[in-house]
Amino acid sequence: MPSALKYELVARCSTTKARAAILTLPHGPVQLPLFMPVATQASLKGLTPQQLEETGCRLCLNNTYHLGLKPGQEVLEKLGGAHKLQGWNHNILTDSGGFQMVSLLKLANVTEEGVRFLSPHDGTPMLLTPEHSISLQNTIGSDIIMQLDDVIVTTSPDMERMREAMERSVRWLDRCIAAHKNPTKQNLFCIIQGGLDLELRARCCKEMVARGTPGIAIGGLSGGEAKADYCRVVSTCTSLLPEMKPRYVMGIGYPEDLVVSVALGADMFDCVWPTRTARFGNAITKYGVLNLRHARYANDFGPIEEGCGCVCCREGEGGLGVTKAFIHHIAAKETVGAHLLTMHNVHYQLALMRSVRDSIIEDRFPAFLKQFFADRHDGDKTKYPDWAVEALRTVGVDLMEP
Amino acid sequence: MEKPGIFEIIRPEDPSVLGPRLGQLTVQGRSKLETPNFLAISSRGVVPHMTPDVIAASSQIGGVHMALEDFIEKSPSGTPPIMKIPGNPLHTFTAIPNSIITLLAPRRTPAVTAPNGNSDTAISVFTSTGFQALSNKSYISSIQTLRPDISIALADLTYGPLPGTKRTVKMSDRTQEWLSDLLSENGHGGAVFAPILPIDSLSQSEYLDYLADDQAGEISGLAFYDSNLLPDIPATTSLSRLPHLSLDEPASPHHILRQISLGMDIFTIPFIGHATDAGIALTFRFPRPLPDDAVASNDTGSSVVPLGIDMWIPTHATSLLPLSNSCTCYTCTSHHRAYIQHLLSAKEMLGWVLLQIHNHHILSEFFSSIRASIKMGTFEADAEEFGRIYESELPEKSGKGPRVRGYHFKSEGPGEAKKNKAPWGNLGSDDQSAGRGLVPDENSTELQEKGFAEKVEE
Repeated sequence: MPSALKYELVARCSTTKARAAILTLPHGPVQLPLFMPVATQASLKGLTPQQLEETGCRLCLNNTYHLGLKPGQEVLEKLGGAHKLQGWNHNILTDSGGFQMVSLLKLANVTEEGVRFLSPHDGTPMLLTPEHSISLQNTIGSDIIMQLDDVIVTTSPDMERMREAMERSVRWLDRCIAAHKNPTKQNLFCIIQGGLDLELRARCCKEMVARGTPGIAIGGLSGGEAKADYCRVVSTCTSLLPEMKPRYVMGIGYPEDLVVSVALGADMFDCVWPTRTARFGNAITKYGVLNLRHARYANDFGPIEEGCGCVCCREGEGGLGVTKAFIHHIAAKETVGAHLLTMHNVHYQLALMRSVRDSIIEDRFPAFLKQFFADRHDGDKTKYPDWAVEALRTVGVDLMEP
Repeated sequence: MEKPGIFEIIRPEDPSVLGPRLGQLTVQGRSKLETPNFLAISSRGVVPHMTPDVIAASSQIGGVHMALEDFIEKSPSGTPPIMKIPGNPLHTFTAIPNSIITLLAPRRTPAVTAPNGNSDTAISVFTSTGFQALSNKSYISSIQTLRPDISIALADLTYGPLPGTKRTVKMSDRTQEWLSDLLSENGHGGAVFAPILPIDSLSQSEYLDYLADDQAGEISGLAFYDSNLLPDIPATTSLSRLPHLSLDEPASPHHILRQISLGMDIFTIPFIGHATDAGIALTFRFPRPLPDDAVASNDTGSSVVPLGIDMWIPTHATSLLPLSNSCTCYTCTSHHRAYIQHLLSAKEMLGWVLLQIHNHHILSEFFSSIRASIKMGTFEADAEEFGRIYESELPEKSGKGPRVRGYHFKSEGPGEAKKNKAPWGNLGSDDQSAGRGLVPDENSTELQEKGFAEKVEE
């Protein structure tokens, strides 16, 4: 099928399955591997698009379910899409809306036609189909659009339902491809399903890869499954996916998960966690997460993170030199506190991925991983999570060796 | 010994003439503040909604009003953190740009009425953890530590019903004594503004004479808790050369113009923030709408031009117009009404950020045009024209504002209505974790028309 992107492989890690690439999308190039912050309702939690741009972000998420309700398809049509709506001249990725529908509307259930739900206002049965989702995403005009898939929690014990969901997602992909009106302007990504069953995942990869979408997502994860299971699924899929296409693991954002997933061959990630946790007063740093609402920070006049290059932490020209004490002073009292931490956290995530990328290009990614875990756990190897140690062993990196 | 003044009156040549004044406030190390002008009001050291980098990049704010009561909730148990910072604690702690002038007052503006009265040595202040006494001694020592560019001496205010005669005598006596203490201990040499009490001038005449006769050389400005007192100040050269700061609550730009015509120089303007929180974009220009603005402002069909636009109104949902035509602020040059309307209706925090940027910009432009008008000698006529063209009041608030915080208001006792509506927990959040995700407001027919989903037969 046609595509509106260019994937250029820049480097491959000689030990792990990690890759560095340039992905050129309709609104400019982005560097892979990449973290995408989530601007659910066409705004990133109080940051102006200019501030978001200053964090280095060139690809962010909007949620189709939310934009479909507010401002709605008609308004988006009149305005000329989501880029125009939010004054964002860089790339946007939208999800299909199906996940929010199933998780937010309690009465939703999935049939072959689509997601059925009862209107919360008048109880009328309604249906969201793959065609609706694609039509909405076509109107939104996002650079990457996602197929509507049949998502069920990976931990579901109902294997029959799991197989049905995977097979239905393949059939829905065909409907999405057929419904997609702008394949030369918007890139449709398929979503690999199949729960934790590696055989189902493999079959799904084979079926979906055959459809030739410009990019491929691995879905249904990040739903409470064991991390070891998660890693097995990601690694199984990446081994079966074409080399020259971007791979996006949906809903992943904890720093450890990001670096391990990159080692397992994934390129793109999104998660609301960095921005959500900012609003709770939490700062992400390379030594772990700090809850700045805690009294111990009231008199801490150091930056949020020493050496961090974000606007908040930086001193001098263009930097604010914000201290932990000041965030403590305003956290949960003035929204500016949340905005400042959101800037810092988004910057942290993007900077993390940039340094991951640099280390892949310089072929020192294994050493990077070792330093990363040492920093997070204060050099104490007994505190390293087993799943990460295990997963990295499968790609030739032993965190336990000196 | 007379201190070098921080204020220079450019016009009129004889400052004792009652009328609009053009001036310049100069503080070392900060940008010059041309007057008439305004100070942004801060809450806990931040201008609400605006991060310091946004203030630097997208505002012309020249000075900020800060309240000591916003920083001292930890003082009963120890030294408040801000007091431990060397150098310029207010700028360093709050990260506001160095070019911005800081003015420190004991209380927020507007302040929450304290249940306890003041004493001979202390006033009652409201911190984020409750009411506290703030003694003049401790206020003076805070000024010495925080080194604001300008501080307002402690005043004995009642903030409620008008005080009786006995009380007013006490008010002016205490205020005089507190000011005198501050001036005699003012080691760091920062500028001190003397408060003018919100009582009639006769009741504080002794205090006013004291200012004129004994302290005019020591104080650097007058801070009016009631701007109506301005014409009653003794017309001595030594007092009239001082900058006049209004801590009053002007209800509209018309009130600001009236005060300027009486010689007010610097304002604090709570209605900027109120408009922002209410979802209102201010659109007034001085003295008349910009040429391109006429159409947009008159779309209400009324011949009187509104002072602002209620952005909650759904008709803005598809409008690609800026909030105000020809406006050069970040919001208007980068975004349109449709986005602001969407953000408000989605309760996204950015809506208030963008309105706050715009509304502060409108006020900066308003004052800049006023200065040009005074310079041209056309202020009286221009102000008259403004009064004729524009509505007398700001638009009514129709939508909901952002979440109100505990230290913004005082509880009126049991049975009080909730300040924040329950679904408000979702403010500016994409959090579905709270179990209160976004659910459609529309019924099934509307959802179908929107193309969100389709109705199906059972």
